[in-house]
Amino acid sequence: MTEPLLKVQNLSRHFGGTSAPVRAVDDVSFEIARGETLGLVGESGCGKTSLVRTLLKLGPATGGSALIDGVDITRSSGRQLHELRRRMQVVFQDPYQSLNPRMRVDRLISEPWALHPGIVPKSLWRAETVKLLESVGLRAEHAERYPSEFSGGQRQRLGIARALTLNPTLLVCDEPVSALDVSVQAQVVNLLSRLRRERNLAMLFVAHDLAVVRHISDRVMVMYLGKIIETGPKHSIFSAPAHPYTQALLSAVPTPDPRLRGKRKRIVLQGDLPSPVNPPSGCRFRTRCWKATSICAEQEPALTARTSAHGLLTACHHAEADPAVAGE
Amino acid sequence: MALLEVNDLRVSFDTAAGRILALNGVSFSLNRGEVLALLGESGSGKSVTASAIMDLVPNPPGAIDHGSIRFDGSELLQLPRQERRDLCGDRIALIFQDALAALNPVYPVGWQIAEMFRIHGRTVQGGVEKAVIDLLTAIGIPDPERRAKQYPHEFSGGMRQRIMIAMAVALEPDVIIADEPTTALDVTIQAQVVDLLNAIRKRSDAGMIFITHDLGVVAELADRVAVMYAGRIVETASVFELFDDARHPYSVGLLASQPRMDTDEDELVPIPGSAPNPAALPSGCAFRTRCPRAEKLCAEVVPHLETVGPGREVACHFPVSPA
Repeated sequence: MTEPLLKVQNLSRHFGGTSAPVRAVDDVSFEIARGETLGLVGESGCGKTSLVRTLLKLGPATGGSALIDGVDITRSSGRQLHELRRRMQVVFQDPYQSLNPRMRVDRLISEPWALHPGIVPKSLWRAETVKLLESVGLRAEHAERYPSEFSGGQRQRLGIARALTLNPTLLVCDEPVSALDVSVQAQVVNLLSRLRRERNLAMLFVAHDLAVVRHISDRVMVMYLGKIIETGPKHSIFSAPAHPYTQALLSAVPTPDPRLRGKRKRIVLQGDLPSPVNPPSGCRFRTRCWKATSICAEQEPALTARTSAHGLLTACHHAEADPAVAGE
Repeated sequence: MALLEVNDLRVSFDTAAGRILALNGVSFSLNRGEVLALLGESGSGKSVTASAIMDLVPNPPGAIDHGSIRFDGSELLQLPRQERRDLCGDRIALIFQDALAALNPVYPVGWQIAEMFRIHGRTVQGGVEKAVIDLLTAIGIPDPERRAKQYPHEFSGGMRQRIMIAMAVALEPDVIIADEPTTALDVTIQAQVVDLLNAIRKRSDAGMIFITHDLGVVAELADRVAVMYAGRIVETASVFELFDDARHPYSVGLLASQPRMDTDEDELVPIPGSAPNPAALPSGCAFRTRCPRAEKLCAEVVPHLETVGPGREVACHFPVSPA
């Protein structure tokens, strides 16, 4: 196999003092290949956002490394970081807060070219801006408007256009459609799918909407309390999840089909997410897990192949597929 | 006779962009024991409908310009303010989306639930304190005696939403209006809350108006659905009819634009464009600018809800043919 685009190894991000840190991301390892979309799912407080921010170096890593094209993001600074950021761009969740309201669209789009000279010569800014706007489904005349003149879906298109200005190889999408109306969501999802095909973009796609993640991803990674608890090709994750938490998560997604009402197995989790300051010993999910035994409190389960599902890695001592909760 | 009947309701708001019509002739009815979903996107008028029923339209800038809301035989819009306020909370209850904002941060939750009994002058057998503990138990809060003395910030988001539900059902209302009660919650917690609401509706004979934009939740919970777009109801149908055989092009588009968990689709089928600016709605049918079936007539004449079958209404000049 060729070298992955992004290689994350034992990455941690802790907050607060060393005595009782919040272990937001704790010893996480994964890879993203060129042109591949990795979906990241998990509920509030699982560490998705902290992981994304650490990868973008919007905050320091506590330990581990994240190599993009072999260069460690976590140890980069100054000119090297500036260069890395060119290859790694982000689409934020809230298109109302992520665009400067005082900047006209043409400046919003061309600003990255001013910060990274040598990519697009100034004489071509206007033409390239129009090309980009059209590639995200906007029009040339939109270049002369301000963000407030756009709807939410259009703003998210602007955010995507801006993220593409520097021809990144990796696009990090942090809940890119969750602020949008359902009818508009599909437009933006289709746009991202098309762009990644056309540009061979790799994507880390973070979202809590499992149906959207399933639609767009090649592989999926599930986080719980700072750990990756299961990961694999999307069809393995969605048709044969082996981790009890993944099973509970999938079983909780309401099916848009009233005839299936009450017919699907629903696993209702007991209790709340434990505090990441003092996570449970061994497996972090054991306090809410119906399969937990004494080994779960003693030994942290490794993320490894435990079932016959293709490419599926599961961090559970009692990993076993349950056909009744498969989403597919 | 229907328990709640809303007829030709029109609500407008003064905004910087001029007077906008938030509700432009909304009519529907709710029966006892029935769950009616109001399905629509932001700005479609779902929450304004709830506010109008609960007498919570801020005036100014808002005003109910026209229409009637009949509840159990009496016209709510004609009732003296105090009588109407007494009714709300007692016989018609509202569950807000944002439980943290709706709960008072400086009082224990038990006290706030008990307030429902005090304000509405209810006495309960065994005392209010016991009623509060029973309610907390019913909504699945462990250790209710201790938890009743705690403050909202000491609860998780899902628990706070369940406490809102406990307050809403405390006086056993006839109508429960739930305004996006699960939208801010994680999916596993959402499942808990939907199950709780389902259990409550089975136990009581109350009618429920469930406001949401989530088709999955509609499929799990609703008996009937009213689809809203730009301040109007564009289609009403039983939940089965809507999912099997939607007739309004907007409903059809909404269903088609959702990715599915059980099939692989190459491309999603979005509705083009975005919701119209309420200050500058298109003439005629407000959906026509995004509609694949629109013709000249749609720009000229507003389509009104017309009965197309038992309990089925569609507001469209060129509805999709029955499947």
